[in-house]
Amino acid sequence: MLGLGADRLRADMNRLLALLFHQGVLDEQFLQLQQLQDETSPNFVSEVVNIYFHESEKLLRNLRGLLMDREFSDYKKMGIHLNQFMGSSSSIGAKRVRNVCVAFRAASEQNNRAGCLRALELVEHEYCYLKNKLHELFQLEQQRVLAAGVRYPIQN
Amino acid sequence: MAALLKVPPQSSGGTNGSCKADVVVSDQFPAGLRVLVVDDDVTCLKILEQMLRRCLYHVTTCSQATIALNILREKKGCFDIVLSDVHMPDMDGYKLLEHVGLEMDLPVIMMSADGRTSAVMRGIRHGACDYLIKPIREEELKNIWQHVVRKKWNENKEHEHSGSLEDNDRHKRGGEDAEYASSVNEGAEGILKGQKKRRDSKDEDDGELENEDPSTSKKPRVVWSVELHQQFVSAVNQLGIDKAVPKRILELMNVPGLTRENVASHLQKFRLYLKRLSGVAQQQGGIPNSFCGPVEPNVKLGSLGRFDIQALAASGQIPPQTLAALQAELLGRPTSNLVLPAMDQPALLQASLQGPKCIPVEHGVAFGQPLVKCQTNISKHFPPTVVSTEDVPSGFGAWPSNSLGTVGTSGSLGGLSAQNNNILMDMLHQQQQHQQQQQQQAVIPEPSRSINVQPSCLVVPSRTSASFQAGNSPASVNQNCSFNRNAVIDYSLLTPQSNNSSLSVGQISDGDLKNTTVLGGFSAPGSISPSVSSCSVNAGNSTTRPVQNSTVTFGAPRQLPGVVSNICDIQGSYGARSGEVLDQGLLRNLGFVGKGTSIPSRFAVDEPESPISNLNNGKVYGENEGNRVKQEPNLDYMENARVGVPMLPHFTPNDLMSVFSD
Repeated sequence: MLGLGADRLRADMNRLLALLFHQGVLDEQFLQLQQLQDETSPNFVSEVVNIYFHESEKLLRNLRGLLMDREFSDYKKMGIHLNQFMGSSSSIGAKRVRNVCVAFRAASEQNNRAGCLRALELVEHEYCYLKNKLHELFQLEQQRVLAAGVRYPIQN
Repeated sequence: MAALLKVPPQSSGGTNGSCKADVVVSDQFPAGLRVLVVDDDVTCLKILEQMLRRCLYHVTTCSQATIALNILREKKGCFDIVLSDVHMPDMDGYKLLEHVGLEMDLPVIMMSADGRTSAVMRGIRHGACDYLIKPIREEELKNIWQHVVRKKWNENKEHEHSGSLEDNDRHKRGGEDAEYASSVNEGAEGILKGQKKRRDSKDEDDGELENEDPSTSKKPRVVWSVELHQQFVSAVNQLGIDKAVPKRILELMNVPGLTRENVASHLQKFRLYLKRLSGVAQQQGGIPNSFCGPVEPNVKLGSLGRFDIQALAASGQIPPQTLAALQAELLGRPTSNLVLPAMDQPALLQASLQGPKCIPVEHGVAFGQPLVKCQTNISKHFPPTVVSTEDVPSGFGAWPSNSLGTVGTSGSLGGLSAQNNNILMDMLHQQQQHQQQQQQQAVIPEPSRSINVQPSCLVVPSRTSASFQAGNSPASVNQNCSFNRNAVIDYSLLTPQSNNSSLSVGQISDGDLKNTTVLGGFSAPGSISPSVSSCSVNAGNSTTRPVQNSTVTFGAPRQLPGVVSNICDIQGSYGARSGEVLDQGLLRNLGFVGKGTSIPSRFAVDEPESPISNLNNGKVYGENEGNRVKQEPNLDYMENARVGVPMLPHFTPNDLMSVFSD
């Protein structure tokens, strides 16, 4: 029975992943990430994604702080933050976050404050969505491992 | 095929440097490539680390550029390639790239999510060998080893331009003698032509041999000829070194086909060169000790050596001669400790280069597998020699290494003729010359050498010019080669025989390698050079080295037959003796290059013998000729060498020298 549970959880994961791909939230870079996970680093994907979340939240805070300064927004610094955000987002395959970042950067380069604020909202939204979905995914993964572990302790 | 396979392992081995030697990589080359990743984005850093691990690379990660730079400085030679993010808070990736390019001369790959043309272009301008746009995929990283190999190939090529390695190759392959002969007696223009010829022939050779890959893969690059470099220097002077920017320089130079990037990179190297120059001047006093240490000596030596090399490269054949002159100076003044440092430097450079840097590859190309081993041998010898030498002899210890490095150069010298030297001298005159002269003077205090010194001084300018160009050919190895060449050149100017000797020198290098192998039991010997191998006698020589040194001058050297074969090829007339001498030279070189330097003087005295001595000296021995000319100085050296009896084994060359001088 537990084995069946594990299979069902695996199917759920696949469905969720397919949905995220379909929505363009993730791209094939995420699959690359999954392929990098092996015996030597069994939790590689979740570790990386957690680092990403941690870093992204810092970046988002900084971006918001920069934009909230009404007198003077440091667009150059914003661009650097956005570059990093783009780099890390694309590295884990967070496609939509990255795309919004591109728009954000374009706005910041034009010193377009309104555009930047809109883009920031979008990025925050995309980021939250991604975070929720990936958490969901990891929970499924965890349950699956547990389920599989009970039935087949030796297998993964 | 074998050669192709060889290269990567060798290169990796070389990069390993002093720490690991060439132990690891040989089998599956890219595996074990030592990569330093710098990225302030921890997410990317982690992903990259894992990806690179998957490629079986040896990964070091660092999230701050300044720390990365410190790591690179502390562990010179412990990395093969650097992957760096572009935007980092503490230091711009471009800045890091500049430092790495100038100080470590490692291939750097830039990474950024910013894939706009302007950003990529900026990376290229700063010298990045590649620019990866994030997200980076594993497939891209699997391929980065190519930059390590390519860089080594290119350096190799530059070395060849300087004349040293190329000569060796040619000698090995045979049939190049004609080129040398033609080039030798030609004026500066002739020299340039000769170089072209060489290149052409080289390309042909490449078609058949292992060098094919490097030569074909290499893109056309600006050759900073003496004239071009002078234009560059005058433009810089006009603008002021601090205010000189590539764009303005380019405008002032007004040379069609030259790009801002060319000028920028040349300017960078020129500045570095100036910096090193000043560093050398300051450090000359303490040099000997420092030489023992691989890193610093390299830098110092590098500056001198590079200059020479550059000059050589620029003029084509000229560089070897100038180098020889320099070496001659150094060698001629062996008595003075100061001189020794200079010599040591080349040796150190070679040693260090071989180890940490790519040099091994080059050697591999020229010499084949044996080269690597030779290097190791050299390094081993050096430390002891240095210790013992510290009084007077220490310098000698360093010399041997030089000889090894020089081998290739010696060959080039052979082709050069006294006339060339003169020409070069004239051409070389530059502002920098003065600086170099000063440096040299500082280095070479001994009065006895003064005669030789003057020639060398003349030569010096060439060095300077060379050095400017050197920017392109930074490898320290070349420098070593140049030194030997210099020695030879000077002598040749003094005496006709010297020319012969110079030829022999070129061969010598091969011989030296072989000798080393034989004597030392190093693995290298057999494979090293055909010419040497013909001399098979070497083993006996090795044993005999010490004895020969102590006893007769020529006889002993002759016994060292290994070298002879080379000589025969090159100098025909000199015949067996020279070959023998060469063998000794090799031995000496292995033990202590410094001695070899003295040999050249011998050449001058006994023409027939001279060839031999040349061979022996190949690298080192150019000096011997000088000694003869300046017999007194030589004697001094010899005596010094003898004084340090324990040292003798290493100094054998010196002993030989002394005998000759006697």
